[in-house]
Amino acid sequence: MILRRRAGRSATLAAALASTLVLAACGSTADTPADTAAGAGGVKTDKGVTDTTITLGIMGDTSGVFKNLGAAINAGNQLWADDVNAAGGICDRTIQLEVVDHGYKADTAKTLYPQLEPKILGIVQLLGSPVLAALKQNLIDDNVTAAPASWSSEILNNPNIMMIGTTYDLEVINGLAYLQQEGLLADGATIGHIYIDGEYGGNGLKGSKYYADKHGMTVKEAKITSTDTDLTNIVTGLRGDGVTAIVLTTTPGQTASALAANQALGLNVPVLGNNPTFDPALLQSPAAGALGNLYVAASSPPFSSQTPKAAAVAKAYKEAYPGAPLNAGTNVGYVEGLVWQNVLTKACENGDMTRAGIQTALISLTAVDTEDLVGELDYSSPGAPPTRGVYIAKVDPAAEGGVTEVATVFTAPEAESYKAPFQEG
Amino acid sequence: MDLATFVQLFVNGLGKGAVYALLALGFVIIFKATEVVNFAHGSLVLVGGYVVYALKDTLGWPAAALVGIVSAALAGLILERGLLANARSADHNSLALLTIGVDVIITEEIVRRVGADIPFIGDPYDSQPIQLAGVTIFRTQAIALVVGAVLITAFFLAFRFSNWGVAMRAQAENKEAAALMGIRSSRVTATAWLVAGALAGVAVLFMATQDFSGAGLGRGTHAIALIAFPAAILGGLDSTAGAIVGGLIVGVTEALSSANVDFLPFLGPEFSKSAVFLVMLVVLVIRPSGLFGTKELSRV
Amino acid sequence: MSEVVSEKAGSPPAAPPAQPRAAGARPRRNRIKIAATAVLVLFLVLLPILVGSEVAYLKVAQYILIGAVGGIGLTLLVGQAGQLSLAHPFFLLVGAVSYAVLAGDPEESDDLVGLGLPPLLALVGAIVICGLIGLAFAPVAGRLRGIYLGVASLSLVFLGLWLGQSLEAFTGGTSSGRTPPTFELFGFPFSNAEPSPTLFGVAIEKQQRLWYLFLVLAAISYLLARGAVDSRIGRSWRAVRDNEAAATAMGVNVTRVKAGAFVISSAFAGLAGVMTALWLDLVKPDENEFTGSYSLTVSIAFLAIVIIGGLGSVPGAVVGAAVVFGLQQFFLLGANEFGWFADAEFGGLNAVVLSAFVYGAAVVLVVLFEPGGAAAVGRRLVARLSPSDIPSAPRGGRSTPGSEPERNDDDPTA
Repeated sequence: MILRRRAGRSATLAAALASTLVLAACGSTADTPADTAAGAGGVKTDKGVTDTTITLGIMGDTSGVFKNLGAAINAGNQLWADDVNAAGGICDRTIQLEVVDHGYKADTAKTLYPQLEPKILGIVQLLGSPVLAALKQNLIDDNVTAAPASWSSEILNNPNIMMIGTTYDLEVINGLAYLQQEGLLADGATIGHIYIDGEYGGNGLKGSKYYADKHGMTVKEAKITSTDTDLTNIVTGLRGDGVTAIVLTTTPGQTASALAANQALGLNVPVLGNNPTFDPALLQSPAAGALGNLYVAASSPPFSSQTPKAAAVAKAYKEAYPGAPLNAGTNVGYVEGLVWQNVLTKACENGDMTRAGIQTALISLTAVDTEDLVGELDYSSPGAPPTRGVYIAKVDPAAEGGVTEVATVFTAPEAESYKAPFQEG
Repeated sequence: MDLATFVQLFVNGLGKGAVYALLALGFVIIFKATEVVNFAHGSLVLVGGYVVYALKDTLGWPAAALVGIVSAALAGLILERGLLANARSADHNSLALLTIGVDVIITEEIVRRVGADIPFIGDPYDSQPIQLAGVTIFRTQAIALVVGAVLITAFFLAFRFSNWGVAMRAQAENKEAAALMGIRSSRVTATAWLVAGALAGVAVLFMATQDFSGAGLGRGTHAIALIAFPAAILGGLDSTAGAIVGGLIVGVTEALSSANVDFLPFLGPEFSKSAVFLVMLVVLVIRPSGLFGTKELSRV
Repeated sequence: MSEVVSEKAGSPPAAPPAQPRAAGARPRRNRIKIAATAVLVLFLVLLPILVGSEVAYLKVAQYILIGAVGGIGLTLLVGQAGQLSLAHPFFLLVGAVSYAVLAGDPEESDDLVGLGLPPLLALVGAIVICGLIGLAFAPVAGRLRGIYLGVASLSLVFLGLWLGQSLEAFTGGTSSGRTPPTFELFGFPFSNAEPSPTLFGVAIEKQQRLWYLFLVLAAISYLLARGAVDSRIGRSWRAVRDNEAAATAMGVNVTRVKAGAFVISSAFAGLAGVMTALWLDLVKPDENEFTGSYSLTVSIAFLAIVIIGGLGSVPGAVVGAAVVFGLQQFFLLGANEFGWFADAEFGGLNAVVLSAFVYGAAVVLVVLFEPGGAAAVGRRLVARLSPSDIPSAPRGGRSTPGSEPERNDDDPTA
């Protein structure tokens, strides 16, 4: 016993000695200023920019529920980068892309972000509302400007977001207006809305509620999570509620399930989906026969669009990635790059390509032209969506990318009058 | 909720319940023979499904399905003979934990092989609903009901009248006495796992379809198999009849709680996943041995 | 880590008759023990220095500590008190959400509830809340035996899933959750706030500060658990585990003991939950029951920790955590930083799959060949190192093959 007590005392002594040694080595950091350097061409730079390269980050989904769309968006980003570099780069520097895959999971993204952030100037693609919401504060803290591949109007109050296109609520408003214009929907009807909880679904729901309010319609809501797969019982419930249209703010797999049920249960109502709800791969699944009722509202043209620039991008994609899935992601990725190009060019003109400089350049842009890859963008009033028109497409198995364009930059009066959550005035 | 919707949901639930009953039955057979809770039941399902997916293009679906069922049965057998029989510590809790380890390995391997595509396994009866008196019957679920009824009847007949059935019941009742009577416990146990694996292989043919789950073979399929737990528990872990009833109850509860209930706004699709397990919890608390299970009494 | 096991597992002294014989060997063992402890403490304290700017390794080590704290709680419940529980992730969720709510800024958002308490108070509060909820579940546990209890505890995970989805004002919803407030201790923030103190020239910023915080929390948990195991509480747990009827006959209040075990285990899980919230910088309930930080996968991972470490062994739980939680993060790190598994695309191995293989196989091997887990292995190693000290005959027939699994009781009188 005594030996044990002595051993215990010695252990404590050893620990105390060790601690003292360690404490002696303590110090403190004096404030070191961020190392802003003057780079080549007299342009100020901090992170992600060297004398020869500009590095932009991609936080995408190539393994999760949006993997096909995500892969195409990545490809679109790369096509743009290749085009820019072939034309001489920006500010005498080439564009490099640093890609990570978070699988549409907020926690994975949180662990990947600290590894990505030191290497980049900004983010050319940040896919996923959940990911964006989880990283919101990180982006502000590190002053990283990101172009999200997610279009919730709830994030418009974040100065570090470069929204490219219009938001989910406006997509739904425009889409419902289109359906009504085509005679598929009437005032006073009941609409069912199936949505994923969080900013993606919640924002879509805002749109349907606004529109319903204006037209005396009722919205029957059904909230799900992004990994639910079987919506049959929900659609059964909606059928019992007497809906004459269904709005979906869901993943492609869930869209298939809802459409299959829509047909099987004899409901056969028109279905409106936000832009991420459709993936042409669905046309190979058992639900293929049921997809004919789906209309998709998106900020960018579908793959088969005849808009000149869109057609050119589609052609380049097919050449560069033969055999890869053809869907709307390519245009999304390309236009993200185009807008970044505008910002970077302006920042270069200003002589400031630091993270803060990107911010300054962004809010000075009032009329960004993307050759109709989205409507004209105005970034000068933060909080308001930079554009309000959508492309509407209908599912068409014969078309490349699975959908055919039926309306171009469609902007309904209700969409013009809609006030986004953070819109001023 | 109007009557038509209620009936439709009920039919939806019954169809799914048939598959759940198959899963629960296999689960209970194992428990009755060995008193081991098989946490690897989901893996047996995945093994069967994977074989079908891998072979359907070369052998054609019907042959692949048959091979799949056999593979799942063999997987159960190998698991039992190879691992459980050789475990150093034979007590039931340790063996249950062993099945957990096996489940992790098999699930990860199959999910990796199947990839992110979560493929459907090509069931020929998928997505062709039948309309009957204004009610939609999903063909997959209908076939599952018929197949399930046939298998369950066959099983019960065997259980009551065949040598194997008698031996299993004897072993379940009193292992030592059965051994003394010449019943080889290892053979009974092995066949129990074989049969359970086969049932799992049959169940997966209905699970990885658009009609049933809206998704193909993947981690989700494994998660669905978990439903065997509340279904089996509800009926009583050692009651085969209870397993059937439990499976059907679970299917119907799930369907009915999925549709939105306007006067109880906090319920709805989110609740249905958890509803079944919460019902299970309540049943366990009130009747710890399940609805039809044998009560364990201990007085000090 | 195995040094911890060998020296801790070897600490119960040999039976008294052996003592005079082995008197010469004991001071030597004690010196080894002190040296080992000192080296370990020094290593843990200096880890941020050794790691330098590769902070990702530090995050792996932090994650191991989370597993250790949770694992210790579970091994007490499952190994010492004999109550199989799959509900650990539920208490992790409750702990994380409670911390976020108690410490959350009330002004942060209109949609979120926050009480604005000081973080340390919120930490303690979260632990207390978890303990209370564990207490609420205890009567259920009292009515159920063995594997039925395990399956019933499954339903708590689903309860957590549902509450996480519905109580969005508390949890922030399953898509993006909410950000927990930075931990602060008497005004010292655990973040990258300048100026940061340095140690041997390495700036002690957020990840380093969190490491020390986790280390302290884990050390406290470890010592408390060891104390409980060696005390009357531990003995009553083991009595209930081994034979409830006999325990009752001996005057042990079985219901109260079981309830106590649940309370303590859920308190540990709650602490692990708060640590998870700080590690992830996010509190986000899961979207489904099979993937996510509070899912059945985690449930099984914790059980694996307990089995691999040896049921009932506190140091074993730490070893188990290093294997299960540590390997997974380590492989993920390798995949992201060094591009391991990169040339095999999805069809090939990846970090998650490989780590699952390893710990799944470990569980199988442990149950098949060494039911006592790492703790038993450690004891055997110690026996080999000091042959004159430990009597060669098996103690109490424990190592006889085919008998009941080895107990990691650390109880010299058992």
